[in-house]
Amino acid sequence: MNKVKSIVAAGTAIFVMQVATSSSAMAQERTSTLQQVKDRGYLSCVIGNSFPGFYSLDKDGEWQGMDIDMCRGVAAAVFGDASKVKFMPVQWAQSFTSIKSGEGDMLSKGMTWTLSRDTSQGLDFLETYFYDGQGFMVRKDLGVNSVKDLKGATVCVLTGTSSELNLADYSRTHGLDLKTVVFDDSAVRNTAFFNENCDALTNDKSGLAAQRSAAPNPDDYVVLPETISKEALSFAVTQNDSEWANIVKWTFEAMVAAEEYGITSANVDEMKNNSASPVVRRILGTEGDLNTGLGLSPDWAYQVIKAVGNYGEIYARNVGPNSVLGLERKGTLNALWQDGGLMYAKSFR
Amino acid sequence: MSNKTGLKQFVAKPARLPTQNDQTIIRRIHSRCFNTIGNSILTISVVVLGWYVISAALDWAVFNAVWHASTRRECMNISPEGACWAGVISWFNGLIYGRYPTDQQWRINLGFILAVMWLFPLSCQKIAYRNFILLSWIGLYPFFGAYLFLGGTFGVDIGVFHGVLTCLASGFFILLYANWLLAILNKPHLCEIFQPLASRLFNRWSQPLCLLFVWLVLSLPAAAVLSQVQLQPVAIERWGGLFLTLIIATFAITMSIPIGVILALGRQSTLPVVHWLSLLVIELVRAVPLITVLFMAVTLLPIFLPSDMELNKLSQVLFAVCIFAGAYMAENIRGGLQAIPRGQYEAAQALGLGYWFTMLLIVLPQALRLMIPNIMTSFISILKDTTLVSIIGLFDIMLMARNISNDKDWIGLHTEPIAMISILFFVLCYSMSQYSLNLEKRLKVDRS
Repeated sequence: MNKVKSIVAAGTAIFVMQVATSSSAMAQERTSTLQQVKDRGYLSCVIGNSFPGFYSLDKDGEWQGMDIDMCRGVAAAVFGDASKVKFMPVQWAQSFTSIKSGEGDMLSKGMTWTLSRDTSQGLDFLETYFYDGQGFMVRKDLGVNSVKDLKGATVCVLTGTSSELNLADYSRTHGLDLKTVVFDDSAVRNTAFFNENCDALTNDKSGLAAQRSAAPNPDDYVVLPETISKEALSFAVTQNDSEWANIVKWTFEAMVAAEEYGITSANVDEMKNNSASPVVRRILGTEGDLNTGLGLSPDWAYQVIKAVGNYGEIYARNVGPNSVLGLERKGTLNALWQDGGLMYAKSFR
Repeated sequence: MSNKTGLKQFVAKPARLPTQNDQTIIRRIHSRCFNTIGNSILTISVVVLGWYVISAALDWAVFNAVWHASTRRECMNISPEGACWAGVISWFNGLIYGRYPTDQQWRINLGFILAVMWLFPLSCQKIAYRNFILLSWIGLYPFFGAYLFLGGTFGVDIGVFHGVLTCLASGFFILLYANWLLAILNKPHLCEIFQPLASRLFNRWSQPLCLLFVWLVLSLPAAAVLSQVQLQPVAIERWGGLFLTLIIATFAITMSIPIGVILALGRQSTLPVVHWLSLLVIELVRAVPLITVLFMAVTLLPIFLPSDMELNKLSQVLFAVCIFAGAYMAENIRGGLQAIPRGQYEAAQALGLGYWFTMLLIVLPQALRLMIPNIMTSFISILKDTTLVSIIGLFDIMLMARNISNDKDWIGLHTEPIAMISILFFVLCYSMSQYSLNLEKRLKVDRS
């Protein structure tokens, strides 16, 4: 009997040691993200639960939206196949840890680039793919044309969000004496606004567009022109992995450059074969060796554009005037640089 | 004054008249609802209130509702005041099957039908090895179900252990229905048929060995068929809807009983280590809300485990929900254990039964039967609690419903999906409680 006991004890001790050593291996340096993605066979993209226009489920259970297309684009660049991506919807609190633990390869969930997130969360923010900002929506019959006219008004806002803080700041600096009505759930907040429990609704403008399109009669509501905060929605990847960061960064640059040089998902094949423009030929990989530095195949950008289209197409499909959000692009920061926006592709050389 | 010391005389009053049952409905209403002014006011206000609530609800849900539309905007153009059931109908498959691929959803239906069919022979009292049916459902069916739902090819995506158990499960299913058929036809069951052969082969244990033998033989054709079948693999991330809710709930419900029994016995144990460990688990888990246990399972469990051991979110959630349900069940069962009179323990001891036999044969059957109403209440609350897993991003029916309002075609559609889910949960929970009433009646809980 004693023999059995000592064998069991020894076995347990060995097992515990095994567990201890293997978990200490976790602390070791991670391999490069690109290698990890290739070994795994798919890209793991961190998104949020649901946000119309950016990431939402359709009735067949497929993800769609702007962030989704961005991730598909990166998958196309790495694998030449836009379907090799898995989406990981996480809660807000888990967004940072999911990247740090290596579970997710890139974060594309409409996260605003801020100093504290960039410096103290173990992330590197890359490119801004959508410039958003907080705005206000009111009923048309109030006859209000500017936030300045909202003196003493009640505003519906989600509690615990940066919108709430921005609202308080703005109200104080402009002496507007806005009264906030806070909600925990966006559905309840919207219903309250549509039932006239508050004069104005504040949120990021893309969100306001979504809420306006859900209104009983959208034409009764108007989004005021002021934008009171800076929300630069950007990709983020794990810190200090330039190889991987370059791939995500240049996938996006390729989408913007494609729009600038007139390459679309429809004409990309023709452009690849017939275009005489050296820039287009370099982007599509028929000339030069821009791919070697990235560690991708020569036609990586061709695959991206073939699969998801250029930036303009992605914008129009998901958030543009004919989509559910109906956000006009002209004259906003999201337009190309030659149209007065901030979308400026770096040089493909 | 003079009479004060005398005893009070008992004078029999005439008996009350029997209640009249030959009253008309109008007289009955009059005598019960309008017998005083206060009651009349109460009756009228309740009727008026009820009329307002019910008519408004019916107007919204039935009379003004839209059943056919392709977007929410269209619904609103047709009838702005009514419910837009068209959205729920168009998402119906999503609510039931989650993100499971549309052309593979028959596998879920098949799995569900097989799960019910597995239990169906229980209704036959004469069937051989009746006790094994439930045990096999708990121990074998999950492997078969996991194979069916996950898909894949034997030897490629499915490990040896899982593959073998899937084949054994299929073999047992065939054995079960062969025995059921034979029982219906009043023929001896399969093992009895092979009994002469078996007793010649094996000297001892011939009956269980024969059962094992027949089972293994039946598993072989199942294995031959299954190894040829190629099911399209479906990742766990794509599981969802009511399907996922039912998986989590069923798993938690079946596991909560053994976990609860072990913890309850452990808590009553005289061995200090066992006692304190059980106490610690029960009190720790019960002191924390389920949502915290879920978050802990998802974020902390991977830290404790070795790094090369990857757990998917579903198994983390199953772990958390089982522990949680088990801790509550332990207290239910402890209540039952305490209700058993000491005499029962002593009688068992006097018969020479040891601890485990006392518990298994004498105490637990009585304790569990006494606690049926409480256990059933726990089951119902487990079923409802599973909706919390939507918060950590599993696409159960609740999260699917919330996603409808963010779909571009049905943007802002919140109320109707939730109403639909409420009806569904009511049906599920009500049938569970009816079943428990039925079970109590059959086992005659209140036979004291």
